[in-house]
Amino acid sequence: MGTNEQGSKGLSFILLAAGIVMTIAALGLDITGSSFAFRGELLILGIVLFFIGLYMIPTKKHHRKIIYFIFLFPLLFTFAVTVIIPLVLGIGYSFTDWTGIRFTQFVGLSNYTSMFKDPAFIWSVLITFLFVIFNMILVNLIAFLLALLCTSTIKGIGFFRTAYFLPNLIGGIVLGYIWQFVFSNVLISITKTSWLSQTKMAMVAIIIVYIWQYAGYIMLIYITGLTQVPGDVLEAASIDGANGIQTLFNIKIPMIASTITICTFLTLTSAFKQFDVNMALTNGAGSVPNFMGNYLSNGTQMLALNIYNTAIAKNSYALGQAKAVLFFIILACVSLIQVRISNKKEVEM
Amino acid sequence: MKKQALVLLAGALAAGMSMTAMADLRLVNGKIEVDAMLKDLAAAYEEETGVHVEIESMGGGIDIQGTLKGYYQADNMPDIFVNGGATDFANWDGLLVDMSGEAWVDDTEAEYIDGNGAVVGFPYTTEAIGLAYNADILEKAGVDPAALTTPAALQEAFEKIDAQKEDLGLTAVIGYCAEAVNLYWSTGNHIFGVYEDGGLARDDTTYFDMLSDGGKLDEERFTKFAEMIALFNQYSDPALLVSGTYDQQILNFASGKYAFVTQGSWIGATMTADDADAYAAAGNFKVGMAPYAFVDGIDTIMTNSPSWWAVFNNDNAEEAKAFLQWCSEDKGQQILVEQAGFISPFASCKYVASDPFAETISEYTAAGKTSAWHWLNNKEGLAQNALGVVFQDFAAGNMDVAGFVQAMTQVCAQYYAG
Repeated sequence: MGTNEQGSKGLSFILLAAGIVMTIAALGLDITGSSFAFRGELLILGIVLFFIGLYMIPTKKHHRKIIYFIFLFPLLFTFAVTVIIPLVLGIGYSFTDWTGIRFTQFVGLSNYTSMFKDPAFIWSVLITFLFVIFNMILVNLIAFLLALLCTSTIKGIGFFRTAYFLPNLIGGIVLGYIWQFVFSNVLISITKTSWLSQTKMAMVAIIIVYIWQYAGYIMLIYITGLTQVPGDVLEAASIDGANGIQTLFNIKIPMIASTITICTFLTLTSAFKQFDVNMALTNGAGSVPNFMGNYLSNGTQMLALNIYNTAIAKNSYALGQAKAVLFFIILACVSLIQVRISNKKEVEM
Repeated sequence: MKKQALVLLAGALAAGMSMTAMADLRLVNGKIEVDAMLKDLAAAYEEETGVHVEIESMGGGIDIQGTLKGYYQADNMPDIFVNGGATDFANWDGLLVDMSGEAWVDDTEAEYIDGNGAVVGFPYTTEAIGLAYNADILEKAGVDPAALTTPAALQEAFEKIDAQKEDLGLTAVIGYCAEAVNLYWSTGNHIFGVYEDGGLARDDTTYFDMLSDGGKLDEERFTKFAEMIALFNQYSDPALLVSGTYDQQILNFASGKYAFVTQGSWIGATMTADDADAYAAAGNFKVGMAPYAFVDGIDTIMTNSPSWWAVFNNDNAEEAKAFLQWCSEDKGQQILVEQAGFISPFASCKYVASDPFAETISEYTAAGKTSAWHWLNNKEGLAQNALGVVFQDFAAGNMDVAGFVQAMTQVCAQYYAG
């Protein structure tokens, strides 16, 4: 028993040590840019050996923890590689003059200061907020009305539900190009000049297309909410003589308050991240004759598209990264508020 | 346990072995329209030398430099790839092969030379920017294209054609499109490029240098340029002007509905391929190019290599150089010129492209009446993010000539500052 345990302990430590050495060696080779082709296999082998060694450590006390760790590792590793490391690197890059290929120096906060001195960017932030407010109200209103329609007793309910939801299944880019055709080639016979060539009307066009795309999806959530209002409550109300409008405002809406919160935040965050329709429909084009004393040419460019264009079209990856960090902070704030409000509601229910 | 580990190890090693296959070449091409022809080129090369060349075509609005940066990060760089000018080449500074010693360099004047004097770009075609016209219509209308070298002559010709529009079966005098979402490159790069280089000697960078120095415009020259754009706005097809598409513009020109079109020689390929039926129905008319004469005496069209192939400095560099050398020689040139329709930048090339504009380009080149394309070196994204919209605004009638000049001055200064 004693010697067996000794042997097992020795073996496990040898495996652990070999695993760590191989992992570090593989990472080292990768960082120095060696052309040694087996470094990937070396890395995997190192990690596997490390875990075999870890598993074989003869301990009763920590055995459970070790098992937990081994089972959690694949998930933690994936999370780190796809989320945590890019986030940290991204924030790091925002302090450099990164070009997408390499960086030569750290520039401190200058990306952040130049971002707020750029009227085009401030304009993008402003119209994004405007767009979010308009959308949050309009999408919810229209979706709710559609949901009421689709939970009533008119004929062909199944068809209406499907028809309203269908636009949501079309990708934003395709949708953008379809509507670009509608605005530039079809509606032009009524509007004379294409809406898309005038900044204000182009914004209206984006909002219309976005509602068209998103209202059906939100409608489905409202339908779920409305159908879950208990039948006995509604029956009691109708026995008490409440008419349709009273039932709606005093029974149905209070009963689906949590659904409304969810839908509000869903539309809020998705409107903030609006990118594909914006890109396909106007690609941010639009003239603003005088904003902060400047002529702007990105009249309909919202935040996400502005970040993309800064990085890709203007080739300022580091500046784009700094803007993305700001974008992340805004969205994180919105999400935190959402979580707090939802939690409160749950307690009240 | 140990057995399983061994199996895993063996599997991993085997996978590693198979991944290190033999070296093939990979070329990223930026002209999607010649994808099939380049694959033929690669097949001919493989037949002759046994080296396989993989053609990877990008285009149609894809950001090629952005994709290449992704490839670089992923350690997946092609051996040969396309670069469109100084800003593109600057991205790869120090990562490209110097091809100064290659034989083809002595055979052309269109190679790309970087700031250190190294030859890093292989030219493969020549394109021309000029005011393209339908020679048949001009002849019927009694306009001599050779005389279109002053703004007054241009205006007079426009008026003359406009008066006989119906007899000639025209929709409009000129097909000029200032749509900013998809066609910003036409106005913001090519037509704006006329301001930078129109009428100048090939090495004259006066206005390009001014622009590079904080985005300055020469007010007098730019006002004259703006007056020409105003003329285009006035006589262009209203259905095309603000909300048209490239396809519409070329199809209408090929169908003989416009006397002029503000696109360069590359439309020849579209006219003889996609729009071949309409072009044939319009009688396969002769085309030519007039200078954009916004100042008296401008008599040049602008020709240049629109982009270059660069060789990435890796283990395959020697093979890549050999492939490019072969492309500049007889067999490669035959395919590039006769099939892909390229206008050869190599002096020794004896093939003639079937492109409708080939003749007019060689006439201007032979007469020495060409200017260069310095707009290739404009600040990255200038056309897309700044200029295109101003052209559209002007076309939509939201500003007059003075307003256009003022807005452009402001926009350029802002773009170069930020």
